[in-house]
Amino acid sequence: MRTKTNQSKKTLNLYLYISPAWIMMGAIVIFPILYLLYISFTNMNIYHWTDYKLIGFHNYFKALTRIEQGFLKALFTTLIWTLSNVLVQVVLALIISLFLNVEGLIGKGFYKTILIIPWAMPSYISALIWRNGLFHNDYGMLNGILRAWGFQKVAWLNTDSMAFVSCMMVNLWMALPFMILVIFGGLQSIDRSYYESASLDGCSSFKAIFYITLPLIRPILIPAVVLTTFVTFKQFDIVYLMLQQTGLKTGANIHTVITYAYENAFITNNYGYSAATSVIIFIIIVFLTLCNKKYIKAE
Amino acid sequence: MKDTRYVMRRPGQAAMMLKTKAPFNLKTFFLHGGIHLFMLLVCITAMLPIIYTLGIALKSGNGLISTDFSLFPRMITLEHFKTILLEKPFVKWLINSLVLTIGTVAFTFVLGIPAAYAYSRFNFKNKNTHLRVLLLLNAFPSILAMVAIYILFNHFNLINSYWGLILIYTGGMLIFAIWNLKGYFDSIPVQLEEAAMIDGATKLYILIKIIIPLALPAIIVTGMMIFISTWNEYIYAINFLQNSKQYSLAAGLYSLQGTEYTRNWPVFAAGSLLASAPILVIYFVIQRYMISGLTAGGVKE
Repeated sequence: MRTKTNQSKKTLNLYLYISPAWIMMGAIVIFPILYLLYISFTNMNIYHWTDYKLIGFHNYFKALTRIEQGFLKALFTTLIWTLSNVLVQVVLALIISLFLNVEGLIGKGFYKTILIIPWAMPSYISALIWRNGLFHNDYGMLNGILRAWGFQKVAWLNTDSMAFVSCMMVNLWMALPFMILVIFGGLQSIDRSYYESASLDGCSSFKAIFYITLPLIRPILIPAVVLTTFVTFKQFDIVYLMLQQTGLKTGANIHTVITYAYENAFITNNYGYSAATSVIIFIIIVFLTLCNKKYIKAE
Repeated sequence: MKDTRYVMRRPGQAAMMLKTKAPFNLKTFFLHGGIHLFMLLVCITAMLPIIYTLGIALKSGNGLISTDFSLFPRMITLEHFKTILLEKPFVKWLINSLVLTIGTVAFTFVLGIPAAYAYSRFNFKNKNTHLRVLLLLNAFPSILAMVAIYILFNHFNLINSYWGLILIYTGGMLIFAIWNLKGYFDSIPVQLEEAAMIDGATKLYILIKIIIPLALPAIIVTGMMIFISTWNEYIYAINFLQNSKQYSLAAGLYSLQGTEYTRNWPVFAAGSLLASAPILVIYFVIQRYMISGLTAGGVKE
């Protein structure tokens, strides 16, 4: 009897601790997911704001089978965007960190301090500075430099391919420092004696990178790459602020899945359709998260 | 006296002293020189947009409407800083931002610390399921929730109110806070609590008097990270607040660049530097914890 009351008292205690947080998350995170799931099966849009009706999987078919709707293109763009950004970041960060880690190099702390700044800048400010300040066709810094050197000016944000490259430059500028700081931190934790004994055994320093450095920083590198992959996949600020701001579109038709869903909800007010794309995006991210968990467990 | 000096020179120290006096090596000299040159290029690229913005903010007249390009202005003026501080509702926005961020940090802790403590110390059947569900929920991009939250808040009259925004930001930050703090609570030895428990202390007493003071460094770092992401949030603020006087700093600056674009650009540049400054300071203080905290999040199970 006594243990039973003790047990129920403990359960009550537990709920007292966790339920306030769960109620909050229920309203702000779980409710929206369930609500999106519901309206994704309806034709809710600007003409059917309150008198919407269930239309089955129509929105999902529209998103996944009709190329001209643009969702598949946005999905493809997002995948290319994520892969290319992460790949370039890891390679560049490795090269720069290996340079920084050369024995006896002075000024490491100075370089690290400078690199924190782009990482720390609020991302909306960085994106707006690049868009309005550096990429501006007539008054921007980049075209100013090109003009000063006698080149033609470049329309950085107006065509699809150039806009993609420009967005990548901005993302690289913002995100590369974090990767460098992570990898450099990992490199510094490697004991120099590994390299010394390797070089005594006749191992070249280039070979040492693949046989000593990379395996040893793997435990630090993998989580950083996973984190960066998710952040890059979910990136909204850069593409939205640089290309797709309401009323300030540049003409480039580049969308990631998130800016695509946002545009369909808030600009064209296609709520049902936007909800269906949101659900698909969530399923993809959950799938990736589960794969990642499996992978970490397998390690 | 002589003896102590002798003792202080241990073998390791001698080796270190030898190393610093390494003979001049031409190969090392060129290698290091090359690296410094390369790193200088990297650093210039990293700093250029910010130096450029500073130049725009300090340039007299309208810096934009001149096709001649110069990174460093010839005439320096604080006029744009004066405009943003006095003519634009910058101070109002700053106060709004402080209300929103401090409200969010406080509210997230009130809800998150007890939950994190429970997930760290209580043993119950579905604990791991709970934690996994939290991770999956965290995968949901908060921006996609906007329509649903708008409709929900419309029912409860929470549109156009700071309470509404604080609720949104808190809901968004809770999972991060719970995971982060649970990880730190786990590292605090449980024996301390057992001793207090024998003395008859309640769980709540233990949490407030023992756990929170011990976890204070982790709580401060977590709080600063919540502060940063709330400080930088603009998209919910512009959609949920109707009057630009109510805007947060991020929403205000966003609206500034969108309207009367050419005239406001130097003013925006000045404002964006002022808005970034506190964030930069926080990053410099806590960057070490942030890097390890962010990367550890991926492997915690």
